[in-house]
Amino acid sequence: MNTLNRRQFLKLAGAMSALAAAPRAVGATTTAPRVVVVGGGFGGATLAKYVRMWGGNVQVTLVDANPSHVSCILSNLVITGALSMTRITLGFDSLKANHGVTVMQGRALAIDAWGNTLTVKTSSGNKVLPYDHLVLSPGIDFVPPVAGYWDANLTPHAWQAGPQTTLLKNQLATMRSNETFVMTVPKAPYRCPPGPYERACVVADYLKRKGRTGAKVIVLDANAGITAEPEAFGHAFNVTHAGVIEYYPNAAVQSVDSRTRSIVTSVKTVNKAKVLNYIPNQLAGAIAATLPLNGAGFVPVDPLTYGIESYPNIHVIGDSCAVPASDGKPVPKSGHMANSEAKICADAIVRDFNGEAPDANIATSSACFSPITNKTSSWLSTNFIYGDIFDASGKVKGKGMHRVDAGEAAADMVDGDSYQDMFKWADSIFADSFI
Amino acid sequence: MDISIFTRAVLAGAALLVAAVPTSAAEPGRLLASQCAQCHGTNGAGPGFEEIAGKDIFNDLIEMKYRPIEGIMERQARGYTDEQLRLISDYLSTLPGNGDD
Repeated sequence: MNTLNRRQFLKLAGAMSALAAAPRAVGATTTAPRVVVVGGGFGGATLAKYVRMWGGNVQVTLVDANPSHVSCILSNLVITGALSMTRITLGFDSLKANHGVTVMQGRALAIDAWGNTLTVKTSSGNKVLPYDHLVLSPGIDFVPPVAGYWDANLTPHAWQAGPQTTLLKNQLATMRSNETFVMTVPKAPYRCPPGPYERACVVADYLKRKGRTGAKVIVLDANAGITAEPEAFGHAFNVTHAGVIEYYPNAAVQSVDSRTRSIVTSVKTVNKAKVLNYIPNQLAGAIAATLPLNGAGFVPVDPLTYGIESYPNIHVIGDSCAVPASDGKPVPKSGHMANSEAKICADAIVRDFNGEAPDANIATSSACFSPITNKTSSWLSTNFIYGDIFDASGKVKGKGMHRVDAGEAAADMVDGDSYQDMFKWADSIFADSFI
Repeated sequence: MDISIFTRAVLAGAALLVAAVPTSAAEPGRLLASQCAQCHGTNGAGPGFEEIAGKDIFNDLIEMKYRPIEGIMERQARGYTDEQLRLISDYLSTLPGNGDD
């Protein structure tokens, strides 16, 4: 056999990767096992920290394009001016000092799955990092609108926190009475299911508190209805912020013009909005998007290891991955879930270095608090357990993370205690991931 | 595709195998209990909600799992089997807490 087609070659390369990732001595001093992590958000930071905590002498290098991570969690409160950017800026210094993680600032360019190396573009040239396990946690990328002229520097999405957050905050601050803030909700699956509805609420609340009478928040949702906490947000839209928020479901975006802040959807057109917060549809972050994707643009993974078929020592966690789940009960893309998945992946990698099979007695979860006003918040909690997953008719379709439903769920409560709990939760997950 | 690349990959993989020395297994419950840390701090010792390190919380978890839902913990507790809750609480009880509530 002198030639291999691409698919055969990938399979063989994967088999070789498995060899490369076969038991390495965690206790050995000569060649410490190497883990390279791309993306220093909640997934990548947690992965780096927990591999160091649990993996003995495993060397961990965390690659991120930025000198620190700016959290999407709490970022809607920066847009309204309630919090500062420093409050949501999370550095990598503790990962270095407390956990011995090596941090490299640079952009992941290419994976050599045959040679087990990652090439990173840095300010001092390209670096080639050898790895035994590679973990990608690059978050999301955006699908451009099908038509029009889109420039996120004119119409910020603010769905990756940082300069985009500041831009949207500054644009919101220019709004006066009777002006219009238009935002889109991307087609699911997208990062942070409750996030867009939370943003609509806190922007509406801001406009009311600033006395911007007649100002409106127009929500153009690509989905058939509110995709997260429909009771809490439905009440917020129809009662708490009635007269300010206008909600349009089934609004598929047809064209966007960032120069005039205009948008055409299948159910509603808005020309010359004061602020156009167009949040595009999403797919796996750039480096993960070079791997085999599902129809929605995300990387299918093994729920026990977050490894990829044919590349068992390449893992994808967080927003970029697609976890097998029961129909209608998808695993949400959130910072909390990325942290949760990172621990499963870290444990599987350490076990692999020790020649052990991955643990199948596993669970993941996501919890979050969403501000509805500047004093109140809703909350959401969801749990997944490894085992049989089911199709829409209730037939077992395989193994994966099955959502455990909490029976007769109480209506989500919106209150001031939750608003205070939101900060407790954020500080805890910030520390668990970054400190 | 040149077969020599494939051969080199085999050799690279074989070279790495030489260093293999398995070590001991992870403590039972550690991975499950790490899922509490997003809200209760790494190893259950804060910052965050109630400290859960260094105490036996099994009965509390079971009570929350089977009573009506009031807050997040009643839902979170329903996300685990009773046996998993036992593994979690047994592991957490071995960790040093700060003596906080």
